[in-house]
Amino acid sequence: MFKHATLILGYEVRGLLRNPIWPLFGIVQPVLYLVFFAPLLGSTVPGGSDSAVLAMLTPGMMLMIALFGSMFAGFSIMNDTRNGVLERLIVSQIWRPAIVLGRVLKDALALVIQAALIIAISMAMGLRVGALQALLMLALMAMTGLLAGSLSYGLAINIRDENAMSQIVQFMAMPLTLIAGLFLPVSLGPEWLQSVAKFNPLYYAVEAGRSLFRGDLGASTIPMAFALFTALCVLTVTWSVRSLRKLAG
Amino acid sequence: MIIEAHELRKTFVVGRGRGKAREIEAVRGIDMEVERGEVFAVLGPNGAGKTTTVRMLATFTQPTAGQARVNGYDVVKEAGKVRASIGYVGQLGGVDEMTPAIENLMLAGRLAGMSKKQAKARAEELMAAFALTEIGNRPARTLSGGQKRRFAIAVGLVTAPPLIFLDEPTTGLDPQNRANLWEEVRKLRDQGTSVLLTTHYLDEADALCDRLVIVDHGKVVVEGTPEALKKEVAGDIVTVRLADGPAEGLEQARLLLTAEPYVREVVQEDELLRAYLDDGERGLPSVLRALDRDGLAIQSITLERATLDDVFLKHTGRSLRDAA
Ligand SMILES: Nc1ncnc2c1ncn2[C@@H]1O[C@H](COP(=O)(O)OP(=O)(O)O)[C@@H](O)[C@H]1O
Ligand SMILES: [Mg+2]
Repeated sequence: MFKHATLILGYEVRGLLRNPIWPLFGIVQPVLYLVFFAPLLGSTVPGGSDSAVLAMLTPGMMLMIALFGSMFAGFSIMNDTRNGVLERLIVSQIWRPAIVLGRVLKDALALVIQAALIIAISMAMGLRVGALQALLMLALMAMTGLLAGSLSYGLAINIRDENAMSQIVQFMAMPLTLIAGLFLPVSLGPEWLQSVAKFNPLYYAVEAGRSLFRGDLGASTIPMAFALFTALCVLTVTWSVRSLRKLAG
Repeated sequence: MIIEAHELRKTFVVGRGRGKAREIEAVRGIDMEVERGEVFAVLGPNGAGKTTTVRMLATFTQPTAGQARVNGYDVVKEAGKVRASIGYVGQLGGVDEMTPAIENLMLAGRLAGMSKKQAKARAEELMAAFALTEIGNRPARTLSGGQKRRFAIAVGLVTAPPLIFLDEPTTGLDPQNRANLWEEVRKLRDQGTSVLLTTHYLDEADALCDRLVIVDHGKVVVEGTPEALKKEVAGDIVTVRLADGPAEGLEQARLLLTAEPYVREVVQEDELLRAYLDDGERGLPSVLRALDRDGLAIQSITLERATLDDVFLKHTGRSLRDAA
């Protein structure tokens, strides 16, 4: 079963390697933020050192790539709903969840590589973070990618219309990023904003990420985020796999 | 029996959740039996329900009602075993445009449980058989229509299944490529693979299949071998166009010819009369004489062998060419 997921993963990764340029574009934006936005934040962060500012901003930037890199992943499957590739796979001997899992794993892998680059750049700028914390952060980010990716594949399989899909993705991505405190902690904002943020899964990931990068491994935000994301990932992957049935009408 | 279908039905519900749900009866009770080793055609105009039927048999779409067994397995309850028994080449092709042929062939093999080495050997074997070796490493989007189609069929054959479904395998191909593909289908039969193909081309069904069903509006209209079906209609057809068109003349000619003993049936199609005769060569002079006797001037007259279109026309009252 899982072997089928790795087979699809391998197939997708080889596809990515034939065209390895595009994922690199994904990290340009977060790097620009790190370079030009971080210096503006000196006065807002307690301590205000370069390292503290970067510890605050870097997890947000990593999650930004996770979200934006994955929310649009569904577009890649849209073609396969029309050219019969999915139809062929569905009547092959494949373990069905592998069709979605293989793809989200490929996307997660690409994300982790992008994120590792971001951490490296951030460290070059003065960030100090332990190896374990960095690894945990990468894992959290991979899970964010899994969540957003499977959601996106599910949407694509259900909607099968590029225009509608891009409207919906934009509609969802904007509030998700704004109300998660990707750039600045939500705790700087008013009560109501903090209450609203509690309904946004991304908020928990950002908070957990900041705890990790502060070196605060004991923070309750960390297990909380992992548990929440595991549960949500199970839901979205199941949903998108079930959606494959809709292709048959 | 490699395929047995009984009262297979599919009703799609479209526009659900937008208030005005509408039901489309795509397949309305289809029965068919396909023997092992047979090339079986499903012939019918666009929208007849061919694709939906094949998709149900291939376990892609769940039937609304009815039963079907493929290779002895129930398409709903034993879908996994059915999938292991079939190759499926859909109407849409199923070719990943961005990826080289060999990648698709290898993946299909690995998913069926082959080792990397086995999958590679099988992919190379198929690429050689389908003249794809030279182009197997090129992304599929750079291939011609005929090459893509051969490649899609090769992917369907990776597991050497006892049965392969080919949904409209030659639609959109030029005559040369169609002829090549027909050759491939004949080779499959020679190797003992059962083939179920759908088509809206009469000549294709006629040239390729051992037996066929003609479907229209989701139902089987008639079933049999091409020869038997054509013979049932008539041996030959005489088509007459009268010189001075008006309707009375045409009607007069129709009654006249119907009364002739060697004419089986006369059908009017627009300005034409089609007379079905068992032996056209002998009947033609008599037809000419009979029309002349009544002073009906003929503009043109042709004699043709009956085709499957005549079979379709007889059973549905429409020409397949117009229906498509
Ligand atoms: N997934 C679907 N949803 C709704 N209607 C469909 C679907 N697939 C086919 N139909 C309808 O069912 C009928 C039969 O279609 P199809 O099986 O594709 O015919 P054919 O292959 O003979 O051209 C058509 O009216 C078509 O519009
Ligand atoms: Mg069709």
